[in-house]
Amino acid sequence: MIDLRTLSRRGFLNMSAAGAAALALPAGLFRAGTASAATLPAVAEEDAVIGFGHVGPITDEGWTWSHHQGLLAVKEAFPKLKKVIEVENVPYSADATRTYRQFVSEGANMIFDTSSTGDFLHEVVKRAPEVAFMECDGHQVMDNLGWYYLAHWYPTYVIGVAAGHLSKTGKLGYVASFPVASVFCSTNAFLMGARSVNPAATLQTIAINSWFDPQAATQAGTALIDNGCDFLFGIMDEAGYLQVAEQRGVWAAMWNTDIRRYGPNSYVSSVIIDFKKFYVDQVGKRLAGTWSPSETLLQMGSGVDRDVWGAKVPADVAKAADAVRDKIVGGWSPFTGEIKDSTGTVRIAKDQKMTDTELYTWDWSVEGVSGLTS
Amino acid sequence: MLSGLRLQRLPSAHPGIALGARVAAIFLALLLASIVLEISGAAPLELGIQVISATFGSTYGIEDLCLLLIPLLMTGLAVAVGQQIGAWNIGAEGQFYAGAFSATAIGLFVPGPEILILPLMFIAGAVGGMIWILVPTLARAYAGVNELITTLLLNFVAALMVYYVSTGPWRDRVGMSNSATPRVKAEIPEFWGLVHWGLPLGVLMAIGFALVLSYSKWGYEVRLSGSNPSAAKYAGIPVRRHIITVMLLSGMVAGIAGMFEIAGTVHRLQGGISNNFGYLGIMVAVLARNSCVGVIFSAALMALILNAGIILQTQGLTTSAVLAITGLILFLTAIGDELAHYRITRIKI
Repeated sequence: MIDLRTLSRRGFLNMSAAGAAALALPAGLFRAGTASAATLPAVAEEDAVIGFGHVGPITDEGWTWSHHQGLLAVKEAFPKLKKVIEVENVPYSADATRTYRQFVSEGANMIFDTSSTGDFLHEVVKRAPEVAFMECDGHQVMDNLGWYYLAHWYPTYVIGVAAGHLSKTGKLGYVASFPVASVFCSTNAFLMGARSVNPAATLQTIAINSWFDPQAATQAGTALIDNGCDFLFGIMDEAGYLQVAEQRGVWAAMWNTDIRRYGPNSYVSSVIIDFKKFYVDQVGKRLAGTWSPSETLLQMGSGVDRDVWGAKVPADVAKAADAVRDKIVGGWSPFTGEIKDSTGTVRIAKDQKMTDTELYTWDWSVEGVSGLTS
Repeated sequence: MLSGLRLQRLPSAHPGIALGARVAAIFLALLLASIVLEISGAAPLELGIQVISATFGSTYGIEDLCLLLIPLLMTGLAVAVGQQIGAWNIGAEGQFYAGAFSATAIGLFVPGPEILILPLMFIAGAVGGMIWILVPTLARAYAGVNELITTLLLNFVAALMVYYVSTGPWRDRVGMSNSATPRVKAEIPEFWGLVHWGLPLGVLMAIGFALVLSYSKWGYEVRLSGSNPSAAKYAGIPVRRHIITVMLLSGMVAGIAGMFEIAGTVHRLQGGISNNFGYLGIMVAVLARNSCVGVIFSAALMALILNAGIILQTQGLTTSAVLAITGLILFLTAIGDELAHYRITRIKI
């Protein structure tokens, strides 16, 4: 397992070296707390209860595992905490409401929903004004609810550049979960990166209606390769399609963590994530009584990045992709017009730069992406 | 000299013994679970107290219990109603989806005041559930096709249909990490705390079915057709017509359950909205021995177990441990129910 801290530090140094032109806000703060929201009173560490609800199992070596590392970092930073509650496999259903209500009953002072359960969480938020809530990939802010997420589109673009170099057929495949903003953004960024190298590249997408379903992801990966794709990417919490890629001898890039051991020859890179600093910071603020609901997008280099390149990735490809990465860290945005959607209509005018909000709520496919209905 | 003990099966269990067997089964299951927990280092007694106090010691707990009870009561009732005429409705899951789907269609696309939309959604849910069981019903009534298979298979069709519309054409365009439709505006008013009027309505429906089945001519004919179709036919009872009516009613109840879930609890149509309530309904009906009033109590027991599962998870038990305990309780209860039908007799030869 690669040491995420080293990676983050390096990214962070790069960023400061570049003067952090476009990323002037510290630690990826997107928008500070709303003015109207009063802060919640301080809590002594020994009295504090912190809750984490996850979408999958903490052993997934992916999304949930990464958030669990954040929880461990919180425990390490605040060893005297009265209790840290953690529930895995919180379903996207009324059971999520029941689970988070139970957190509140247990006396939680702060609750992290690590995979946006939307209204199911908000029901609880409204009825527990004394509890601070943070929703990962959330979209709503209330007096006691904020959200946080990752600007994953930048490392995804970088990996897309590598895919443009590595794919021989120009046909790329994507194992998606649901047609939601993070998936639209991920597929678009990936293909735009690839098209910056090979303008004829296309991306075929299969949505499997789950973030964690190794069997369905494996089937989708197989179908994509059967259709001629020679580079697989996706947004899964586990390594299913990487194993398929290894067996079939095509390239694959992943999400969340370094899982190259499941496909050492196929592994290109990962959109690698690290929430540790963010969680420690948020819990610290809650304890000190300075927490207020914020909207945070962790930027490339401080929470999200590409992983160390795979063993079989040629050095010149890695170099070309890293040059793009440096450019982005330096403040350049690849998401600048003209950008056409999948029907050929110009959606972003020439030289117009997409804002973080637009990227975060992207709900249409760019030209060349197929399989997602918008 | 040749005297021995024999087991004799009674056609119906003595109520006292049945109750005793059930209590013993639950106790045994909890005891077994406690031993396992104790061995794995948890404190079972404290956990038990935690579950009881979290469920009954707070408004939150009782509200959660009731919200779980509503769909379980309805799907359990759906299965129990079908059983009156000997039909296994394994498709309550699919009819639940179909009811939720139809109710959402009305809620999203028909404009009008809530007072009008809610009854329309109710009717749509009922009709949706009936449509979903229509083909298995006709196949059973006219061609003798086993409804176990047909109703079961249609569950997958309904689930995928709901997945398709909620991630496709009806998807909420405002970003969410999982796909669902926009919020349905019409909501069933709350009756106590967070608990909506679906609960009293469901209880009334269960009592209504029980009364009609026990005290009307139609109910008598249905029960007779269920227990002995040939005799019923011979007596001039229109068995086929009763099969059609009862199965459609069964589908209707499951469809209404889906409507309640949309308009009362979840408010958005999404994949997985049924939360397995359709399948759990089979368990509820079996535990109630297909008694419509009994369903109210077995659904309450099931709701208690499911709610305890959620509480135990926040106490650090993994999902699989909770599932195992739940399964153990149901398994032993089913055995206990069956054993209550036997008595030991001494036989002399």
